[in-house]
Amino acid sequence: MRDLAVRLIATSILCSLILPAALQAQSDAAKTFKANCVLCHSADGSGDSATGKAMHAKDLRSDEVQKQSDAALAEAITKGKGKMPAFGAKIHPEDVNKLVAYIRDLANKK
Amino acid sequence: MCRKQSEYSLSGICSKLFVMVLLVVLFVPSARAVPSYSRQTGLPCASCHYAPPELTPFGRTFKLEGYTFTTKAQVTDDKKDHNAALHLLEVFPLSIIFDTSLTATKSPQPGTQNGNFQFPQAASLFLAGAWTSHIGSFVQVTYDSQSDQFSWDNTDIRYANHGGTLLGKPVTYGITLNNNPGVEDLWNSTPAWGFPWVGSNVAPGPSAAALINGTLAQDVAGVGGYTMWNEHWYLAATMYRSEHLGGAQPNPGTGYGFNIRGVAPYWRAAWQTSTKNSYLEIGTYGMHVKSTPSAVTGLMDGYTDFAADFQYDRTLPQLKSDVLSVRGTYIRENSTLLATFAAGGAAQTFHHLNTAQANVEYHFGTKFSGTAGLFDITGTRDLLLFPQAAVAGSANGAPQSSGYTLNLSWWPEQNIDLAVQYTGYLRFNGAKTNYDGAGRDAAGNNTVYVLARFVF
Repeated sequence: MRDLAVRLIATSILCSLILPAALQAQSDAAKTFKANCVLCHSADGSGDSATGKAMHAKDLRSDEVQKQSDAALAEAITKGKGKMPAFGAKIHPEDVNKLVAYIRDLANKK
Repeated sequence: MCRKQSEYSLSGICSKLFVMVLLVVLFVPSARAVPSYSRQTGLPCASCHYAPPELTPFGRTFKLEGYTFTTKAQVTDDKKDHNAALHLLEVFPLSIIFDTSLTATKSPQPGTQNGNFQFPQAASLFLAGAWTSHIGSFVQVTYDSQSDQFSWDNTDIRYANHGGTLLGKPVTYGITLNNNPGVEDLWNSTPAWGFPWVGSNVAPGPSAAALINGTLAQDVAGVGGYTMWNEHWYLAATMYRSEHLGGAQPNPGTGYGFNIRGVAPYWRAAWQTSTKNSYLEIGTYGMHVKSTPSAVTGLMDGYTDFAADFQYDRTLPQLKSDVLSVRGTYIRENSTLLATFAAGGAAQTFHHLNTAQANVEYHFGTKFSGTAGLFDITGTRDLLLFPQAAVAGSANGAPQSSGYTLNLSWWPEQNIDLAVQYTGYLRFNGAKTNYDGAGRDAAGNNTVYVLARFVF
């Protein structure tokens, strides 16, 4: 019983340490996504706006995008791909990784 | 009394001549694409323009979002506690346009040499790009070879916020400070950014033009708001006051044809939709102005402009994604010229002016474009408002002018425009033949214009 209590407390402390950091990361990634990606890919990642259609922006939730590795997505963001410009000069590598995680989340929200 | 009337008439004539000269100058379209945006975004000109200054959907969104989108390095500092943030472009957003041109009319203007070579016709400096993460600008200063001086040109400084939602749909909103009604607009069917994209500044142009059709450009200052909701509905409104460049401050009104009394509201509403290869916009815009010519007190002239416009762009995948564009606008101006009538500058108070413009353009990739445009101006006949004068006047006092403009542009690089343009008049200032009472025919003003534009 005592062990269970210790484990629960330890888990709670761990959660209280990790969750805000995770939420913060999400929030930062959402900000980065909003500032840099929404213009073509839309808020939901679909690219289903006039701009997205004109630029042939990929649906970030599609299998075509989601089946790519994290490294490949990060490289596309950093170095650009097709009509998409390179964001490597603007977005810090750490934020690029958060952005990749955010893009993975978009598919889950579909 | 007679002497006084004579003075009023002289003043009226001077005022009208000034307006005519102004209209000839303002008839020159201000068509711009700015490389500093390309440097800021890391995208080619063709991402924002089918051919400058015609905006693609991406270009419209870039403008809507305050010219702030960037992929390039910035000097940044995050907002923390009581410290302000900083987002400063590392590259200063400056650009240059250099125009040189040749203009020839079918009949030379009396006492002048035909075949007018201008080197330069104009040269513009631009401060165009992001100032902060939410504020950006399109600021243009232009050297004009005829006046041999630099002058403030089209300006649109805006704050924009995007990425929010309203009623569950995306919303972008902002504030604009500008000096030309319509310069903040996103489409190329309205006058500020409409066809013809380039044009001669020495060839005669029709003397009648609606206020919203460029007459107030760079002669007013306004602040307004705009919003795009659900990526379909666009609403904008701006309030203007007179702001005469080079004039005395505070404004005494002397020597200026339009001195806005109170504020002049401008409004704009548009709806857009798109599919994979088609884009359609339908809209309305207008303006209401109360003005006193050459004064800031006394009787006022009133103008109300109502307008409708549309734009359709069709991408043709079977033709290497060439784009066909069709655009049009109709402007109805109703005016009550109490001040001008009292000063002897008009034979009656109530007037109307109808302006219809339409054009169709085919873009061969981003390298060539061919455009054919029609224009037609009709309105109330008035021998005092549209007086007789050689070349610029009207013998019968009618504002009717109609014709067509054909333009071919070759873009060997996306920032070099080599254009040939022909403007033909079927009717000019009220008549086809001897329109000015001095023997000049409408076709005498038919113009060949050759332009080389370098943008960097």
